[in-house]
Amino acid sequence: MSTQYSILFKQEHAHDDAIWTAAWGKSESDGSETIITGSLDDMVKVWKWSDEKLELQWTLEGHQLGVVSVDISHNGSIAASSSLDAHIRVWDLDSGKQIKSMDAGPVDAWSLAFSPDSKHIATGSHHGKVNIFGVDSGKKEYSLDTRGKFILSIAYSPDGKYLASGAIDGIINIFDIATGKLLHTLEGHAMPIRSLTFSPDSQLLVTASDDGYIKIYDVQHANLAATLSGHGSWVLNVAFSPDNTHFVSSSSDKSVKVWDAGSRACINTFFDHQDQVWSVKYNSKGSKIISAGDDRSIHIYDCPM
Amino acid sequence: MASFGWKRKVGEKVSKSAVQQFKAEAEKTEDAGPGPGNEVDWLHAIKRRRDILLEDCAAKSQRLKDEGAVLAEHGRHWEAIKKLDEAIQLTPDNPLLYEMKSQVLTILQEVFPAVKAAEMAVKFRPLWWEGWQTLGRAQLNLGEVDLAVRSFQVAIHLCPSERTLWQEDLEWAWRLQKQHLATKEKTRQEEEAKEQILHAPELERDYDFESDEVLAACVAVAERQTRYEELKRTAVVIDAEGNIRNVLAGEEGSEDAATPLQEQFVKVRGL
Repeated sequence: MSTQYSILFKQEHAHDDAIWTAAWGKSESDGSETIITGSLDDMVKVWKWSDEKLELQWTLEGHQLGVVSVDISHNGSIAASSSLDAHIRVWDLDSGKQIKSMDAGPVDAWSLAFSPDSKHIATGSHHGKVNIFGVDSGKKEYSLDTRGKFILSIAYSPDGKYLASGAIDGIINIFDIATGKLLHTLEGHAMPIRSLTFSPDSQLLVTASDDGYIKIYDVQHANLAATLSGHGSWVLNVAFSPDNTHFVSSSSDKSVKVWDAGSRACINTFFDHQDQVWSVKYNSKGSKIISAGDDRSIHIYDCPM
Repeated sequence: MASFGWKRKVGEKVSKSAVQQFKAEAEKTEDAGPGPGNEVDWLHAIKRRRDILLEDCAAKSQRLKDEGAVLAEHGRHWEAIKKLDEAIQLTPDNPLLYEMKSQVLTILQEVFPAVKAAEMAVKFRPLWWEGWQTLGRAQLNLGEVDLAVRSFQVAIHLCPSERTLWQEDLEWAWRLQKQHLATKEKTRQEEEAKEQILHAPELERDYDFESDEVLAACVAVAERQTRYEELKRTAVVIDAEGNIRNVLAGEEGSEDAATPLQEQFVKVRGL
């Protein structure tokens, strides 16, 4: 357990081109920690994190264009990836084999997220619809309509009640999953929302936008709780720590910032990447942070607990 | 345009307008030259001069850019390039100028300089999807299909809601890329078939010339020859659904109809 933020590990040249997305999961069966990365080089790579270093486990081939988004199911056994070739692929992490390939239709797969019960995969689409695919069926089961623009970002609340989507015109929509009703429409930012995330207690929603700001919303009342500035360029990704106390953001200004969720102040800035940082995530304990970006490298940071 | 003399002219690289301005300034300072007695605060004088000059550069570059845009719109492309080059000299880190120059160069079929210019644009403004689109189009013109596919993907990743990027740029470049790969594969097969004809494994043995083996070997060689001929006659074609097929040459000639309209335009972007 460390007492201060520090960089722990660097994997240089993890892919042959820019890394656009990363996810960190933990296997329920053996407790091992898995990291997946997706890149412009069309590959999805599966890494094992053990003894404070990364080991490449699988290189998953199949996508024909750049991989935009990856996610790991909550039991850590399967992964999903979406690519510019408009396919969503589901992978078995133990065998490294593809389980399913779903054709999302032209330009209808962007960022994706597993539902808390891991039975569904939600993905944004061109026409402002959130499409929900069944993991077992491999088919589109239903969709939620925002009646808005292209959906760039998507998140389930951990309690399974809400689904939030962020659009390219800066509009945030919050759905009630049980009824499928649109609960709130927030005119959050004037620019694209690249990422959003719920707090683990599902009370707060944090959004990241090209306008350089991070906003915090109170989910129940749909109130804006705070607007945070600090990044010098687009904010590309945000992720909440599992203990509800911090969240982390990455930006095209090449930095990764850790924020205190209570005081809403930036408490640490990592300036270790050479280029835009597209993805940032916490591990399941909240003791580590991963970041990856255009410089093709993966960084792992230590967090004080 | 470049002059084709053996000796470069002195001051060729300096823009004419800059020279004129310098001359005018020089004359002025000569008039108002300080007498031998008065001390001049050179340090501050120089600093102040630079401030004024910087502002002038930006405004002038903007004017030149507008002029360039108008010229390009009227089809006077080389003159537009001249204006843009002058503007670039004044503000060398403005990505808009490089992007415009790249578009004009593309129209003029100056493919390599067009790629160079677009590369400068994305270097100075890497988050600007239009710069990547222009770079991709320039790379496609140069025949660098793989690089073009990459540039279009970067552009889409920055701005996925832009439909032209999906429907024209990426789709077209991606199809070319697939075709290119299929053609390469076919060439490889052809080479292999040819190799086998020249060095048929059946001929590398001694034969009892009265047995059926000779006949079998002849048949095998003949079959291979037919296959090679067939490969020679077919062409790689990608149909409307993006499936790659080998068809007999001459059978299908309307493949070019699938080419999307090559829109050629110049506009002032971003500002």
